[in-house]
Amino acid sequence: MNSLKRVGFALLAPVIAVLIAVLATSVVIAASGSDSSAGDFWSVILSKPDNRLLVNILNQTTMIYLAAVAAAIGFRMGLFNIGVEGQYLLASYTAATFAGAALLPGALNIMATLVIAMAVGAIWAGIAGILRTTRGVSEVISTIMLNSIALILVGYLLDRYGLHGGNQVRTKDLPESSQLAGWLPFERPDGPIWTLGLLAVAVGVGFWVLLNKTRFGFDLRATGLSQTAAVASGIKVDRMVLISMLLSGAVAGLIWMPAYFGSAHTYGTTFQAGLGFTGIAVALLGRNQPVGMVFGAVLFAFLSTQSNTLTFQTDISPSIVQITQGVAVLAVVIAYELVRRYRIRLEQRTVARARTAPVQEVTA
Amino acid sequence: MPAAPPAPGASSTEAVIEAPEVRLIGIGKRFPGVIANHDVEVTIRPATVHALIGENGAGKSTLMKILYGVQKPDDGTIEVGGTERSFRTPTDAIGVGIGMVFQHFMLADNLTALENAVLGAEKLHGIGDKARAEFESISERYGFGLRPDVLVEKLGVADRQRLEILKVLFRGAKVLILDEPTAVLVPQEVDALFANLRDLRAHGHSILFISHKLDEVLAIADDITVMRRGTTVGSAVPGEVTKQELAEMMVGSELPSPETSESTVTDVVQLSLSGVTLTDDAGRDLLSDISFDIHRGEILGIAGVEGNGQAELVETVMGMRRLTSGRILLGEEDVTDWDTRRLRESGVGYIPEDRHRHGLLLDSPLWENRILGHQTRPPSVKGPWINRSGARKDTRRIVDEYDVRTPGIDTVARALSGGNQQKLIIGREMSGDPVLLIASHPTRGVDVGAQAAIWSHIKRARHDGLAVLLISADLDELIGLSDRIEVILRGRMVGTFDPAGVTPKDLGAAMTGGGEA
Amino acid sequence: MRRTTTFAALLSVSVLALGACSSSDSDGGDKASDNTSASASASADVCKDADGDGPKIGLAYDVGGRGDQSFNDSAYAGVAKAVDELDATCLEGEAQDAEPESAREDRLRQMADAGANAVVGVGFAYSDAINAVAPDYPDVNFGVVDGFDPDDKPNDNVAYFSFAANEASFLVGVAAAEKTASKQVGFVGGVHNDLIKGFEAGFTAGVKAVDPSIKVDVAYIEESDLSGFNDPAGGKTAAAGEFDKGADVVYHASGASGSGIFDAAVEAGDGNWAIGVDSDQYLTATADQQPHILTSALKRVDVATFDFIKSVADGSPKTSYVTYDLKNDGVGYSTSGGFVDDIKADIDGYADKIKSGEIKVPTAP
Repeated sequence: MNSLKRVGFALLAPVIAVLIAVLATSVVIAASGSDSSAGDFWSVILSKPDNRLLVNILNQTTMIYLAAVAAAIGFRMGLFNIGVEGQYLLASYTAATFAGAALLPGALNIMATLVIAMAVGAIWAGIAGILRTTRGVSEVISTIMLNSIALILVGYLLDRYGLHGGNQVRTKDLPESSQLAGWLPFERPDGPIWTLGLLAVAVGVGFWVLLNKTRFGFDLRATGLSQTAAVASGIKVDRMVLISMLLSGAVAGLIWMPAYFGSAHTYGTTFQAGLGFTGIAVALLGRNQPVGMVFGAVLFAFLSTQSNTLTFQTDISPSIVQITQGVAVLAVVIAYELVRRYRIRLEQRTVARARTAPVQEVTA
Repeated sequence: MPAAPPAPGASSTEAVIEAPEVRLIGIGKRFPGVIANHDVEVTIRPATVHALIGENGAGKSTLMKILYGVQKPDDGTIEVGGTERSFRTPTDAIGVGIGMVFQHFMLADNLTALENAVLGAEKLHGIGDKARAEFESISERYGFGLRPDVLVEKLGVADRQRLEILKVLFRGAKVLILDEPTAVLVPQEVDALFANLRDLRAHGHSILFISHKLDEVLAIADDITVMRRGTTVGSAVPGEVTKQELAEMMVGSELPSPETSESTVTDVVQLSLSGVTLTDDAGRDLLSDISFDIHRGEILGIAGVEGNGQAELVETVMGMRRLTSGRILLGEEDVTDWDTRRLRESGVGYIPEDRHRHGLLLDSPLWENRILGHQTRPPSVKGPWINRSGARKDTRRIVDEYDVRTPGIDTVARALSGGNQQKLIIGREMSGDPVLLIASHPTRGVDVGAQAAIWSHIKRARHDGLAVLLISADLDELIGLSDRIEVILRGRMVGTFDPAGVTPKDLGAAMTGGGEA
Repeated sequence: MRRTTTFAALLSVSVLALGACSSSDSDGGDKASDNTSASASASADVCKDADGDGPKIGLAYDVGGRGDQSFNDSAYAGVAKAVDELDATCLEGEAQDAEPESAREDRLRQMADAGANAVVGVGFAYSDAINAVAPDYPDVNFGVVDGFDPDDKPNDNVAYFSFAANEASFLVGVAAAEKTASKQVGFVGGVHNDLIKGFEAGFTAGVKAVDPSIKVDVAYIEESDLSGFNDPAGGKTAAAGEFDKGADVVYHASGASGSGIFDAAVEAGDGNWAIGVDSDQYLTATADQQPHILTSALKRVDVATFDFIKSVADGSPKTSYVTYDLKNDGVGYSTSGGFVDDIKADIDGYADKIKSGEIKVPTAP
């Protein structure tokens, strides 16, 4: 199979999926009996974003991408870490508390905070890993529970130790010397592109290298493709489960860091929850591929950001983009399976041709 | 037509079943780029056993699917009892009395024999007393000896197979297609199966018997049709043809034989097991006190009915299971507590029993499959990095040396035929100069051509000093390849045989616990 | 891996779908209120048709949006009044669950960019966003319901409306104490934060003022996640738990989750009551729910919103902290349904004592 064909196959499924999602969304809008039509909806969504929104889309993309990688690390070896949400929540709170305490100066504070965020995410995910390897507890169940525990734990700790002001509680503000706003591509009110968005680039490249270039990545993929074959090849699956949970959690710990150092500077009402689940959806949309997930993250960030103006210009609730997103994910899974089968049939044919060709010469 | 002997308990109204004549005329089936079948001509006479033989990939399964209504032919016609038929689904086929017994049993373990028979055919005889009466009458008529209320999980392989046949008869089949029915049976069971088949024939059923075991075909068939490369290349009558001639028709070349030449056994012990015992969580012994040595240049064959501890033995030696007691030495080294990767790094090759589950990443390209099991050794890796070019180059070497028929090394493993998949595995496991090869059913489900190639690779490696632990259900293979045969029964070694003097019958007796050992 | 993927897909889609559902719940509520509401609060869509030359209002809802039969609807009522009386026009925007801070800021900026001169953020979650946006729009006046200034740089174009919700809660606590037969009442908070703790504190104090032996069960839907204000199912579970344990009056301070509390009261049967919050929820409840809504603790977000818009229209915009309490009728309780008519005198008695300072209502439990 030549490379052009391969690229074609790689693009086929997502394109089909997005088309189905667009269609389904339009049908839902039409069926809802709203005063605005699907055309209104798409003209708002597809209008050229303002500069400010371009910045927001990019910033959101980096965080969603980090979340997607965190989920994908587990997926690639057949582990379903849906605890990304809880892991980054707890890691974000802990990191913000540490950074706000300003125990270290400037850049050192940033470095240490990132390490702590990764460590906390890894530990939280590691609990699920240990439960799975020692007690056989499904990571699906344990991570769901750990999500709830993290939420309650953070709520409690924040209430107990946070700064109460007005109707809010927050962690101590990040000292200015450790703030990393980023690069202003437009005017100041349009906001900066966060410096730590680069984390997403680094993690993405790292994930690609890990998967495709290292022994560990091979073991990880092999375990995901066939656990039985992995065992027979000498991979210690339990060890792999634990390591990938730790890695997944560590990446999860980084998810909110761009926003924290870029603009929030405190953990409080400005914390953005829900990225963990978005990450799972994007990982699926991007088929757990480092490059594919970039497109998925951009798509999700774009849709969410653009939906903000829906209530100004139309009668349509911004929630409708969740339907677009959901259908896209579901459709992509189905479309990939169909494309995969088609591709295998095609390859089998090629193989059969290769096999029969010399034989025919003999019989001829 | 021979009259049926009145079966005990059968009512006097029982008529002899009259199977219709089945004719496949000029059947052709094309998939884009591939001609799976062309100009296939088969005539199954009523009340006969008709053998269909051919290598894997010769087009037998496509033909079977066409006859059983799973696929529609592009050309040709199917005539049943002189009437032209076209089947859209298996239901259509069974409607005119054509039933299929698959190689892999399709039974629900947690249901009873009767429930399995009735499942999906509730409309025919209901689910009550009528169904039970039908079940019992079929079982008695053909001497199956199946009790309706026994749970399937309690049944042995042979009984399950009889239940599969009964299921098809229950649905009113007059023509039965049996896909390699003897693959899972020991010789004694094969004899019993043949007795059943003769009984069925005597009652007027026709049987299409698919196999590549020529001895069996010669023993049971009334007519033989040989397929090669998608078409029927000839037919024969058992009395007038030799095994050699049949085989030549099948492969179009010389018959492969597993016989080893002169012994290459040395004095150096390569693998030594002493008192190896494996206990499961419930405290039952899966392996009890197993001891044996394999020398360099020696092939030790393990014979046994499947499920008597062979899989556990292999997994224990491979470090995938922790033994409860005992000791394993690899050369001089005590490897009892070593894990699989360390063993592999020390030169243990492994051809797993189920290549799809244990030997391959089916959806990965061949060159990635080359790395599997060799993740820590050159040429696949360089330190912690995957050596892509090294792995690809070595995969090309394997493809050439082991004659893996593939358009390229980027093809996914799933696309290859079983024989070519297995050749890739053998090539991989022979890489890096192994000292010990654990080969589980190395030629299972592989066509004759690939089988011969695999045998010769194993023999050549043995000649070069490789120690081999060979587990096989194919007694010809065991006898032909091994320097020594040990029989395993219920997790114990129950006898040692010299392949030079032993017959499949002797081995079969030992395997079922009736032997002198 | 394929099976994992399929499973993951279904799960994440269901998560997304749940998000969509919880939002559509509020739409459902909207319809319900269309059918039953006697007030103008949530019926017609005034912003679509308004074309006056008065102030241009930007109304940024909290999660739940218009149709929550509570907080957001109350703000909308204030805007509707402004459209009516001040010839105002308006723009609406609605927060999504788990939206980024940047989305809130963007919503406000879009309103300001579109020419709004009075922008109201409904809910304290807008405090930070308004603090970030206000300096860029010195000509626009901002107001935040329940808001506060998160930093020490005061903004001279932002007003923070604070409500003595504890006082209103105290009064409905009195009502609950006088109506309970089982000597046990309940409280359901949306999110366990300082704002809602004030409701809890006032309610408990009111109950205890009547009869210290009455037991008060307290439950929160979420510990810190704001989705607790938009989770009718969670609210129903929490309230049903309290009814099961013996409470016969349950007060909620959980925004759009309240419809779940009302449903729980309906299912608990006759003699079980729910108390609404923020707006007069009897008016927007379904016919099933109405017989169970004893009263509502009013937090006159509508008054605050209207006052603010009016102040902008008058050219003397309100800025900084503006407190609404019993004294200036910024909080209170409702009497729709007539279920508290018999005890109205008692409740008003307590209200007078609070106004006079004789009773000090605690702000934290």
